Amino acid sequence: MLYIHQSTCISAQQTFLDVDINTLHEAVDNKLKVIEPTYESIPPGILRRMGKVVRIGIGAALPLIRQATSLDGFIIGTANGGMEDCIKFLNQIIQYEEGVLTPGSFVQSTPNAIAGQLGLFTKNKGYNITHVHRGLAFENAIIDAIMLLTDHPGNNYLLGAVDEISAYNYNIEMLSGWYKKEPATCKELYQTNSIGSIAGESAVAFLINGDQANAVAQIVAVDHIHTSDISIIENQLKYLLQHYLLAGEKIDILLSGENGDNRLLKYYAAIENITADTTVARFKHMTGEYATASAFAVWLACELFQTQHIPAHIVKNQTSEKSIKNILIYNNYKGAQHSFILLKKEN
Amino acid sequence: METAALKEQLKKQIVEFLNLLSVKPEDIKDDEPLFGEGLGLDSIDSLELIVLLGREYGIDIKDPKEGRKILVDVNTMVAYIEKHRTK
Repeated sequence: MLYIHQSTCISAQQTFLDVDINTLHEAVDNKLKVIEPTYESIPPGILRRMGKVVRIGIGAALPLIRQATSLDGFIIGTANGGMEDCIKFLNQIIQYEEGVLTPGSFVQSTPNAIAGQLGLFTKNKGYNITHVHRGLAFENAIIDAIMLLTDHPGNNYLLGAVDEISAYNYNIEMLSGWYKKEPATCKELYQTNSIGSIAGESAVAFLINGDQANAVAQIVAVDHIHTSDISIIENQLKYLLQHYLLAGEKIDILLSGENGDNRLLKYYAAIENITADTTVARFKHMTGEYATASAFAVWLACELFQTQHIPAHIVKNQTSEKSIKNILIYNNYKGAQHSFILLKKEN
Repeated sequence: METAALKEQLKKQIVEFLNLLSVKPEDIKDDEPLFGEGLGLDSIDSLELIVLLGREYGIDIKDPKEGRKILVDVNTMVAYIEKHRTK
């Protein structure tokens, strides 16, 4: 059993510290870049060496680490890690003809720099792992956490996901048709009827353990699959709902990863058909498209459980106003990597 | 280049190479220790400074003992650059 006790999120919206998800911050140049806090608790000497992805990852995790009575490890999901620093390092190799290179960019560029820095920063020698399964990196981190908590239900872990918009990645994804070529706004993202989405990034952290007492939410199930066959995805969801929802229970909100890319609408429509009579809400206009966007959705689900309020701008269609107890997140990355995360409200 | 101008240029390069967020070049005193007290740099910074000397002034420091004598403060660095620079 995986219970979420606390969560933090650094995103393009006001999700860190003074949370306000009712006000929508717009994208600039088709990018939803994070609102970075001041990082007062990170010494300047350490902060100056951190690339953006490490900075926001540690910035999101530190408030939770401070509140944890004990921590047995870090489980992070990231598709690209410090891509910006990685490219900087590779460019240096070319620019200086494979001569002497500065170590800073290299240290920051590996995907496990975030979990590694967290371990070093907190002098924590416990479990420390980074999952890098592209659009399913965070889902695999959850599965790892569930397995760990099954074996060690008394342990506490920091579970998180981080990805950044890097210039290199943005250009490659743009050329591949995954970001919109025409100017797009968050407010009208779902009405664009064109290919691609807007770029996004975030750092999300959760304090988790196997203890139900005082938990905010439980991750009841997580499932993922690589396919482009809609019928396989539909069957996967039916199986999940049959096995993990109790008799008489229903999904209260479907949190859909719809991202304004008209090529992917068929997948989301199929899932909405199965969960008919359920309120559908969307989150990619808040955070943009990136490989670990589902972590933002889990943070948002926790927020919805706690406030029992659905901001108007995330609602696609609302069936009825009732208490929010079960939330299903469906996300797909580039139409090939699909995931379901089922959450249940606690306390 | 005159010594004063070289010191000014070197201070700018130190701030840029080491990404010293809260330090302005003019805040660095000529005789302020680079490591420990003073600027508070560490061993990774010493590698960055050695790379800086190589890239910007064509100076190749191979002996770590030599490096310790050079990377004391801006004065010692500038004195070494003036004597050994190849570009």
